[in-house]
Amino acid sequence: MELDEFRSSLDDWLDQNEHLLKGEHEAAETLDDQMAQLARVKRLTYDAGYMRWGWPERVGGLGGSSLLRAYLGEALTFRGLVEPGIYSMTEVLAPTMIDYATPELAATMVPRLLRGDETWCQGFSEPGTGSNLAALSCRATRTDGGWSVTGQKVWTSLAQYAQRCVLLTRTGASDSAHRGITALFVDMDSAGIEVRPIETMHGFPEFSEVFFDGVLVPLDRTLGQEGQGWSVAMDLLPYERSTALWHRAAYLQQRLAGLLRAAPAGALDPADVGEVAQLLFALRARSRSTQRRLASGERLGPETSIDKVLVATAEQAVFDLVADGLSVSVGTGDDPASGRWRREFLYSRAATIYGGTAEIQRNIIARRLLDLGADR
Amino acid sequence: MEHAERDVFERGLRHAVEAHTGAGLDAALAELGWPDALVEDTQEAVSVFFGLQGSALASSSALDRVLACSIGLDVPPPAGFVLPPLGRWTPPAALDGARLVVRGLGTQSLLGGGDAVVVAQAVNTELAFCVPTAELTLRPVHGMDPGLGLVEVHGTVPKDALAPEVVAPSWSSAVTLAQLAVGYELVGAARAMLELARQHALARVQFGQPIARFQAVRHRLAETLVGIEAAEGVLDAAWEDGSPVTAAVAKALAGRGARTASRHCQQVLAGIGFTTEHEFHRYAKRVLVLDELFGASRSLTRELGQDLVSGRRMPAFAPL
Repeated sequence: MELDEFRSSLDDWLDQNEHLLKGEHEAAETLDDQMAQLARVKRLTYDAGYMRWGWPERVGGLGGSSLLRAYLGEALTFRGLVEPGIYSMTEVLAPTMIDYATPELAATMVPRLLRGDETWCQGFSEPGTGSNLAALSCRATRTDGGWSVTGQKVWTSLAQYAQRCVLLTRTGASDSAHRGITALFVDMDSAGIEVRPIETMHGFPEFSEVFFDGVLVPLDRTLGQEGQGWSVAMDLLPYERSTALWHRAAYLQQRLAGLLRAAPAGALDPADVGEVAQLLFALRARSRSTQRRLASGERLGPETSIDKVLVATAEQAVFDLVADGLSVSVGTGDDPASGRWRREFLYSRAATIYGGTAEIQRNIIARRLLDLGADR
Repeated sequence: MEHAERDVFERGLRHAVEAHTGAGLDAALAELGWPDALVEDTQEAVSVFFGLQGSALASSSALDRVLACSIGLDVPPPAGFVLPPLGRWTPPAALDGARLVVRGLGTQSLLGGGDAVVVAQAVNTELAFCVPTAELTLRPVHGMDPGLGLVEVHGTVPKDALAPEVVAPSWSSAVTLAQLAVGYELVGAARAMLELARQHALARVQFGQPIARFQAVRHRLAETLVGIEAAEGVLDAAWEDGSPVTAAVAKALAGRGARTASRHCQQVLAGIGFTTEHEFHRYAKRVLVLDELFGASRSLTRELGQDLVSGRRMPAFAPL
């Protein structure tokens, strides 16, 4: 399947099935609504085949270039059918399973994620481990036939909805840093797991604290080899900064278009609008070339930190413009549309924090792209 | 262009911009076959050469060639092409009754005698004229950056003293190509500034360590690279869609990126960057003038914003 053929076939299908895909909720007003909508759209697009293109056949896919996935997410986002943040977990976690799980496990599990039958989460950050991921301390010790996990994770997106978790654990000595980390694929209904959603400033409890107390994980749920967890994490990050980022760029473009339609006359400063639009041009041009490199089999690396800086900058710039252009709506509006603008503005404040802070990205650029040497 | 062919092409151009500037560079370009390459593979000829010209702080009449190429004119040297005045991207002349009123800039080629191509705004159309440079007042510009070799042009010429207009050109496509060319030149200059600052940060020791260790320094340089990559990404994308909007965005991003580079790199270079003992100051001056050529980042940005606000829509851009 070529991209052009996929594009026109998908666009037609989306046009014809819009009512089915949209369901009852025109605009989701809770995270539960958004999750239900995501599951609906994934199931419909999987059953129609579109969600399967761009994934290998051995995990239930139909093969083809990763550009097909990039376009699918873009089209769904642009039509407002899915929220790109929660959709992105698929793009980030499915490749990890394909690369590191046993073939049987990947073949069983990945279709469930793609079809929206399951939600997965990513257990990386810990209370003492924010930017310094290699210092994580959630401990996994070998027991008969598997691992016993004890520790705590935080900022775990969608943990309260998740059936599975890609979990980074400490299996080496406590000072083994990135060498002593092992990745596990954990069933979230295992005994000993407690999930506590965190209330956030934007009103959706998107992430949770997760507590592990002697949780047993079978040995065949190890992703990669013991001690290979750092590679699992590092290989996952470029996916966060490629396809998922392309979808986010489509979302920002759609929201800026929405702002241009909704803003009262005279409320927007043309110079500000021009600058934000230029940022989106830059983001899309950059992200498109990253998409093409990914599709041609190139290994993505630290240069994707530029993409990440651009998307975080663009997201905050778009919603700063929203706060200016729709100030009444954002400040005092209590209708659903105002609520959404306000929520999105507030969420955009996190764009320079999650997935590697703006400072971490600039450190990577300085060290790896500018060759400025170690900073300490 | 094939990969190996491109390497040879780039090596030749790199040598030319490092060894020559001004009329010498024009001669070297002719010898390297760059004017032919411009017609055969415009993207390659423009992106490679102007990037190199920017990084070497060289000047030439290559922009005249680009403009002539974009409107389908094959003007033999030494004829020049009149550019808009600084900050503008409208045609540099207007037809006022029976007179052609010219106000613009040119490259050094205008000083060589012969004819200059002048595009004039007429009612609902643009017309190109060949005007003898003897009919125009020319002032070699010293200004901010004498090395750029610009010439200020003005004059009022009776229309009947001129040959009939040569073609009905597309000024918009000329501006599009010129904005990309100047955009690449800005990016080349910005990359050169970044490299100067990078080397200084690694060599300069304070408090017992290279200042490259300090996060405040690292982040300025990282931010500079982001601005450069943002601009170059849109410059490269502009060839794919050929849209004047994309080219203007690319030019604006290149201008802003280069000015950001100038600010951050000067701060990292600190005292030495303020002196003429270090070559940084030449780049700082160059990008300030280039930003204004064919539209400054500030005015291009405002114009884009006005179009978006009044049209109430975002243009589709960079499809997969």
